[in-house]
Amino acid sequence: MIDPHLLLSGVIFGLSMGSIFFLMAIGLSLCFGLMRIISLDQLLYYAIGAYLTYTISSLVGNVWIGVLAGVAVSGLTAFLIERFVFLRIYARDITFSMITSFGILIGGIGVIKAIWGLVPRPVEVPIEAQINLLGTEIPIYRLVVIAIAIAVYWGIWLFLNKTIIGKAIRAGIEDVEHVEGLGINVYRLFTLTFVIAGAMSGLAGGLNAPLIMVDPNMGLEILAFVFMVVIIGGLGSIKGTFVSAFLVGQVVSIGSLIYAPLAQMAPFAIMLLILLIKPTGLYGSAMLKR
Amino acid sequence: MNVLRWWSGLLVAFGLLIVLRIFLPLPFNNEIVIFAVYVIGCNFLLGRVGFISFGQPAYLAIGAYGTAFYLYYVGTNPLVGVLMGILAGVVISTIVGPLFVRLRSDYFALVNLALAIIVFFMMQKVLADWTFGDDGLWFLTNMDPTPVIDITRPAGFYVFALFVAFLVWALYKYLDDSIFGACCLAAKINDDKVRFLGYNNFHIRLLAFVIANTTTALAGALYAVYLGFVSPEMTSAARAADPVVVTILGGVGSLYGPLVGAIAYTGMKDLISQAIGNWELVIGFLLVFIMLAGEKGIWGSLEPLLKRLVSRERPAAVAGPATTDAGVESR
Repeated sequence: MIDPHLLLSGVIFGLSMGSIFFLMAIGLSLCFGLMRIISLDQLLYYAIGAYLTYTISSLVGNVWIGVLAGVAVSGLTAFLIERFVFLRIYARDITFSMITSFGILIGGIGVIKAIWGLVPRPVEVPIEAQINLLGTEIPIYRLVVIAIAIAVYWGIWLFLNKTIIGKAIRAGIEDVEHVEGLGINVYRLFTLTFVIAGAMSGLAGGLNAPLIMVDPNMGLEILAFVFMVVIIGGLGSIKGTFVSAFLVGQVVSIGSLIYAPLAQMAPFAIMLLILLIKPTGLYGSAMLKR
Repeated sequence: MNVLRWWSGLLVAFGLLIVLRIFLPLPFNNEIVIFAVYVIGCNFLLGRVGFISFGQPAYLAIGAYGTAFYLYYVGTNPLVGVLMGILAGVVISTIVGPLFVRLRSDYFALVNLALAIIVFFMMQKVLADWTFGDDGLWFLTNMDPTPVIDITRPAGFYVFALFVAFLVWALYKYLDDSIFGACCLAAKINDDKVRFLGYNNFHIRLLAFVIANTTTALAGALYAVYLGFVSPEMTSAARAADPVVVTILGGVGSLYGPLVGAIAYTGMKDLISQAIGNWELVIGFLLVFIMLAGEKGIWGSLEPLLKRLVSRERPAAVAGPATTDAGVESR
């Protein structure tokens, strides 16, 4: 049996990893739900957020300012890309957006390589302190990451359920044409959703930067896990994304405690299992053909 | 006469490839031929079946490792090695196929991409005792020369690869003309109607999936024999876009699109990476540009022009079915 201290720190590790997955996957999921696009370029905003965190925090000396700058710049980049690229392809088939956004992702990685070079960059952890939880030393920073993810989930839930714009977005996920019929400019909603998604990805990158090394291909490295989260949760479902993000985080973390290579394989096995039972994922609905 | 006409397009295309061999260096030609075989599976899936797959490197690597394992551990005959690669492709795609083809196109792409990354991890870490991780398997000296044409040498390999590619193209041309090809296209456009006609969507898609990915595995086997070594690098996610880019560059769903795309892509890659090193930048923005400018690709735009040219001289030639298909713009 696993040592309980090891297990507890494994669970916290899994939760913090799940938080990052959630912040990444929420953007993909929202974009798919509302606009019916698969926006692989979210992984680019993730890398941008991390690199901005690196640059600003080494300039200013405060990681949190770096994270904020990362969020702002990723949101801005998302806005520009939405205006210049996605606006032209909303009406096209879903595969179309997937190919185009993959192009943006690869091209953006090229830009990052041109600006920051190929060398992996370290970012210092903003909170070094550890807290004693049931006799196990837990880094506070990981707890902060988890808290931020939960706050974001709560904030997005409030936004979607309590504000009129959020309600319009939820209605758009059900049926975009009806929302348009009500006289709401859906393209404004699209832009807003896309920028929120991009900013969330940037936040994920900024928060994850102190936990890993920042390198140009970091988006591609997390790609598989983010997709597993989105697929397991069901494309377009926020609750599903939340549940499956923490599920995948736990599976990776606990799996690596039991048998290290398992960490990479186990989520895939779970994904296949869930897709076999329910081809639309845990919370995905069958209405997704528009 | 009909038989001759059926083969004439293929013969002209591969005749042009042989002409290219005179002007361009051998490694470039080898690269083009293998790459074209690699891409035609993706082209078939995207253009005929409506499945977009970012996971083609997975099947490429499965074929390559099938060959590599045989040549490194078991035997010395590269031809048997290629057969083992094909076999590995058939086995793996038959295993994962029933799971994957039930999914909608968007899920299909994501699951395939996940598979590519899993294969990468497996070859790099999990099976490192047999694959030697990032160092790769080297077996160039293990291969015995083959009779008639020695495929362990680049010049002999070119003849072999060209012959294999010719057979592959003949197969896909046959599939395009057959009822099965029509079923695939129908399943792509409206699967409900196909079901009403009494066909089984699942079987159509599964067969198409296995055929396409076996072709990709064959390309992997060719790569393995040509290079004499394999490493997990070939299945890395950064290269996952290559086949899709070339498919679109050449023209989705057109028979000769992969050939044109492979020539254009490999040529550009050589020229640009000599000029500025940062290849990803160019390929990414090229992809976005092609998608925004119109997704017909090079051959997709050329083919109607050529058809019109030919039909002006010989009106009878128009009768054949139009092979161009706008592919992704179905909405």
